[in-house]
Amino acid sequence: MTTEAPRSSLVRNALVALTILGAAGTALVYVCEGPARFWANWLVWTLFLLTVGLGNLFLVALERLVGAHWSVPMRRVPERIASLIPLAIPLLIIAFFGVPVLFPWTHAEVAHNPILVAKAPWLNLPFFAIRLAACALVWLLFYSFYVRGSLRQDQSKDAAFTVKARKLAPLFMVVFFFSVTIVAFDWISGLEPEWYSDMFGVYLFAGTFLSGIAGMALGVLGLIRRGRLPDVKPKHFYNLGTLGLAFTVFYAYIGFAQYMLIWYANLPEEVVWFKHRIEGAWYPVAMLLPLFHFLLPFFLLIGAVGKKNPKILRIAMVSILFAHFVDLYWLVFPVLGAQPLFGWPELAMACLFLGLGLLQIRRAMGRGADMPVGDPLLAKGLEWQL
Amino acid sequence: MSSTTTTATFAVLGLYSDAQKIVDAAKQIRPRKLGRLEAYTPYPVHGLDKAVGLPPSPLGKLVLGMGLLGTILALLLEWWTSAVDYPLVVGGKALFSWQAFVPVMFEVTVLFATFTAGLAMLFAFNKLPFFGHPVLHSKAIKGITRDKLALSIESTGATFDPEVARQALIENGAESVEIVPIPAWDRPLSLVGLLRTIAAIAAACLVAGAGLFAAEKMIPVVPPMLHMHNQPKLNAFRSSTFFADGRGMRPAVAGTVARGHLPPAFATPEEAGTMLANPLPLTQKTAERGRKVFNDHCAVCHGTVGDGVALLSHAYGAKPGNLLSNEMRARPDGYIYGVLMLGKNAMPSYAPDLDEADRWAAVHYVRVLQRSQNAKDEDLR
Repeated sequence: MTTEAPRSSLVRNALVALTILGAAGTALVYVCEGPARFWANWLVWTLFLLTVGLGNLFLVALERLVGAHWSVPMRRVPERIASLIPLAIPLLIIAFFGVPVLFPWTHAEVAHNPILVAKAPWLNLPFFAIRLAACALVWLLFYSFYVRGSLRQDQSKDAAFTVKARKLAPLFMVVFFFSVTIVAFDWISGLEPEWYSDMFGVYLFAGTFLSGIAGMALGVLGLIRRGRLPDVKPKHFYNLGTLGLAFTVFYAYIGFAQYMLIWYANLPEEVVWFKHRIEGAWYPVAMLLPLFHFLLPFFLLIGAVGKKNPKILRIAMVSILFAHFVDLYWLVFPVLGAQPLFGWPELAMACLFLGLGLLQIRRAMGRGADMPVGDPLLAKGLEWQL
Repeated sequence: MSSTTTTATFAVLGLYSDAQKIVDAAKQIRPRKLGRLEAYTPYPVHGLDKAVGLPPSPLGKLVLGMGLLGTILALLLEWWTSAVDYPLVVGGKALFSWQAFVPVMFEVTVLFATFTAGLAMLFAFNKLPFFGHPVLHSKAIKGITRDKLALSIESTGATFDPEVARQALIENGAESVEIVPIPAWDRPLSLVGLLRTIAAIAAACLVAGAGLFAAEKMIPVVPPMLHMHNQPKLNAFRSSTFFADGRGMRPAVAGTVARGHLPPAFATPEEAGTMLANPLPLTQKTAERGRKVFNDHCAVCHGTVGDGVALLSHAYGAKPGNLLSNEMRARPDGYIYGVLMLGKNAMPSYAPDLDEADRWAAVHYVRVLQRSQNAKDEDLR
């Protein structure tokens, strides 16, 4: 542990430096490149941190809901990564100031557009703010309940919390699906307010769940490599590979179903959304999605080997997480124009948000024991056989 | 041990009641290589596959391979049928629209994968049909299908010693041990057995078919359910009481013109000659098209060179026109077109048989024939 401490503080200092550098760059972006590009980057990264955090909270609640044993020894990792939620909420509240810049439904011309006049009862700033506040509130409440409660259980060894957590899980599921759908409709689909797709909430949910799995798997593999989870074996993280495999297929299915129906019907108000995203210079960006969100992880994870081998599992999960970022970028950035913008402003803001996110996860990684030692199901989870 | 008993033994079964004990026993016995190790259990036991040394099943790789084959075959099928063999534009999409092909590719992938999984599992890896496993004839089988777990050391040939195997099982905590002989019948697939099986399948099909037929006849079909052939619509050429003339098929409204078949605006070929000019440019391609039309439709009477001498001339007693005559050479293109459309003397109208471009191509070809029979000096150079 003596060699660990200086290395650890070195990494921490590097992350702090990265964040400060990113913050300075971010300020420059606002000054030099104007508010539109600044807010687009802000939105993409905030949604990235939020969805990874929500995906992990969802995994925690899912374990409670179905009464899984295999994931109990690893549960502290998603609980810690879920701490991205309290980080992302203030960022999302700040992003509210960017709404008039990025979202056309806030502009005065809306009064001449019959579609937007009809959508005005939903797309107006006061109601938008109320939805944001309501989502933030329930996320924080459930985060506090599941994560703080689990940490308290380390000391109290109180089995009653496990029962309570299971009973509240169905409620979380309902709230989660509604809030993710609201995020999808408000913060992404609202960028082109004439467009609509019933499937879009499910599409973002698929990305959220997948990025949650990827975050959790990378966290677990990272802790194992540092020797902090000696009792977690391949039989445990095998299931993360299985879930990742299942949900890359789910993501591809949802994404393709949405695309194919809109492509087939070819209705102008629907198809224009894809026209902005797969034509011209955006085509190669769009092609990254099937490649890294589906094909690569699918073929890496389809065999039993890929799910048990930490190296292969890590490549698949990094691919998913990368593709999730590309997905959000591909959803948001076409509002800035027909050319995909990627340059120093994107890198600078990536430094800021990645630095913030990693610092938050590092801080959370030090909290409590590395396994939920107070959970009565832990022994069963450790014994669990594939 | 005499050699007769060693060859007659199929396996030695040791019975256990505890899943952990059978796994431990398998781990102990396997390195001794007494025979092929196998386990018979009423439910799956964690770790037992590994303990008896079963290799990982190749089924997964086979399913993946066949699934991908299904994807590729479906893509080829759809590409061939909709873009190559019978190109048909649907909904204004490109002939090769991969987006529309994906659902079928997906379904065929699943179909190939599931059929491979099922059939390979049954026939390739479980070696079915397999009429009667020797263990089914053991005393232990009642326990195995209920609550006992059996570890079996199976004979691998002359070196197999049942007594050693029995000792090994007892030493490793077997509650009881049974030596299972190879049953007397060693050829389960006898001719009589095969014929009986085929007869039984045939009888089952007959009974099922007859039963369905009888049920279809006897059980009344009540309104929301209908036989698909009884639909509330008129079939072609059936009569109808709805229309006054009693015909189910409705004639076209008087004056209907089919697309691309506008009636000619002229009354005589002479009038056509003053009105129309050949809209097709005279090229190698149109001339060749005209030759095909002329040889298919015109040459039978006018002759292949257009001189009016042909096989059918005597048969009809008619005298087809000589298209090479000076009179015909002087006629305008529109006149030839008009004759083709309206007919002349014994010649009927060819309007229904040829489309617009074919007619004008034929006119070009007539001009080509005229030129060929009246070639100028410079044509020959």
